[in-house]
Amino acid sequence: MGDRLKGKVAVITGSGRGVGRGIALLMASEGAKIVVNDLGAAVTGAGASAAPADEVVEEIKKMGGQAVANYDSVATVEGGEKIIKTAIDNFNRIDILVNNAGILRDRMIFNMAPEEWDAVIKVHLYGVFNCTKPASVVMRQQRWGRVISMTSTSGVIGNSGQANYGAAKMGIVGFTYVCARDLGKYGVTVNAIAPAAATRMTMSDEVKAAQAIRAARGLAGAGPASQAPPKDAPPAPRGGADPEDVAPLVTYLATEQAANINGRVFYASGGQLSLFSNPEMVKNIYKQGRWTLDELMGLMPRTLAQGLMNPAPPAPPEPTKPA
Amino acid sequence: MVDKLKGKVAIVTGSGGGIGRGEALALAAEGAKVVVNDVGAALTGVGGSAKPADTVVDEIKKAGGEAVANYDSVSTPEGGENIIKTALNAFGKLDILVNNAGILRDKMVFNMTNEEWDAVIKVHLYGHFYTSRPACVLFRQQKSGRIINTSSISGLGNRGQSNYAAAKEGIVGFTRTLALEMGKYGVTVNAIRPNAGTRMTISDDMRQAAERTGRTGMIQYMESLKPEDVAPMVVWLASDAASNVNGRNFFVQTGRIALFSEPVQEKVIMKRGGFTVDELFAMLPTTLTQGLINPAPKEVEAPKS
Repeated sequence: MGDRLKGKVAVITGSGRGVGRGIALLMASEGAKIVVNDLGAAVTGAGASAAPADEVVEEIKKMGGQAVANYDSVATVEGGEKIIKTAIDNFNRIDILVNNAGILRDRMIFNMAPEEWDAVIKVHLYGVFNCTKPASVVMRQQRWGRVISMTSTSGVIGNSGQANYGAAKMGIVGFTYVCARDLGKYGVTVNAIAPAAATRMTMSDEVKAAQAIRAARGLAGAGPASQAPPKDAPPAPRGGADPEDVAPLVTYLATEQAANINGRVFYASGGQLSLFSNPEMVKNIYKQGRWTLDELMGLMPRTLAQGLMNPAPPAPPEPTKPA
Repeated sequence: MVDKLKGKVAIVTGSGGGIGRGEALALAAEGAKVVVNDVGAALTGVGGSAKPADTVVDEIKKAGGEAVANYDSVSTPEGGENIIKTALNAFGKLDILVNNAGILRDKMVFNMTNEEWDAVIKVHLYGHFYTSRPACVLFRQQKSGRIINTSSISGLGNRGQSNYAAAKEGIVGFTRTLALEMGKYGVTVNAIRPNAGTRMTISDDMRQAAERTGRTGMIQYMESLKPEDVAPMVVWLASDAASNVNGRNFFVQTGRIALFSEPVQEKVIMKRGGFTVDELFAMLPTTLTQGLINPAPKEVEAPKS
């Protein structure tokens, strides 16, 4: 047991399993009191059970830590408020909020039902707001706080079949950028992590099947389940990236030492940690007044658009067979 | 009138005023038939009126172009479907979708109500989905199409706009995914981050605040950035000349256009197996997080006397 988070109170949403569970256990082992929130639903968000949250609370207590369970959904305003209130009621404060709860409903855009869009946006993007808003009120008053939200390379880079998830996960990045600036002066930092790990969410039979279809059709970003590791990749020591491998970076960002880190996005997978660049204007063209379309037709191909590659170019036309 | 978009059919959401109006006029001037969509609401999304859309349709017709008005809201599935249907009913097809409709409800995150959050996410982010989904069904069948989405530089971090930034970066993530999914069907999907003086960016509140504080220079500067100046880049992205540009986002304002970089892992540390917390305490300050500056450092409070 370390003591880098001694006296701190942390809420980790969706911490009944996977990446969230790893964060809850590690933060508890560093002395934080934990609210283990988990609805106990399926990967699609259906159903509910107290078992996953209760089990992690037991694990923490067995190793000598303090924890309480909460079973509310982050997808509603009331749920978010109750989750934060659980921390206040049991431990009198909230210092650290880890927005981790998430679901998947992968579908190509032209087949995506409004319900599939809505369910994913509600849990991920609304979920982050529903918890961060009430937490930020408390953190602002106490002049200290840490908010760490899970984003994804599916938003930061892009991934086919995930228009809902990609939109939600980049939305979380935008929310992080602004909250960092709204709350920084009160001693609160707000950052995001794009984790990659083998969990029930990323390695489900449905996800693997969908990725195999996308890979077979030659679609970009078909995901890790369909890709062989590069030849020169270091050997995976335990058969892949464990969900517990994300926790040390999250815990680090929650400590005092990380006070200068605010409004940034990191990548965490197994033994690889990275800092993502923020978008910048990398090529510019200028003139006085309005560009004309003719000017752009002449200029763009040898300035801003020069060398841009279509990441999913149309297939060349089938050669016509001789009769 | 020239003809770089002759025979094309375009929809511009929120084109009763501001940037959207400029886009509708410019697309029509290049020969596109245009659906001018606008609910005619106030900046906060309240109310509705046919007038803004009708006025722009008249402008296009007077200039010799073709246009029809639509007054549906992008923030419902039915609204999105109706907007696409308007193009099919009036012109028989759809080639170009410009998602532009938007509202503002600025508030610091700790004061933001659920309604303020929801209204902005619904119009911007859901609004992009509700029109793009039926458009992509058509684009996939016809093996061509253009979607130009509207993000914002505010998405990269402007105080008091956590709802707007969440929506606007969400649109960037949506754009990246759609580009990957639709590219093989000959469709490109890109986003602009425009900056112009409109009723959205120069509100009456801002004007009054500037006059109170004597800082009217900013208002004058914003007024010099004409909303019509965004349109040429949108027309270019909609043209065949831009077929290699897919999944990217651009800053666009009067006389200046910039390509944004895509996020890359700019600093990386690796080891076999996961790092421990101890290792991160030792390593991060000299590697990944070295030199990072808090954009809003903690305010030093004056000692109480």
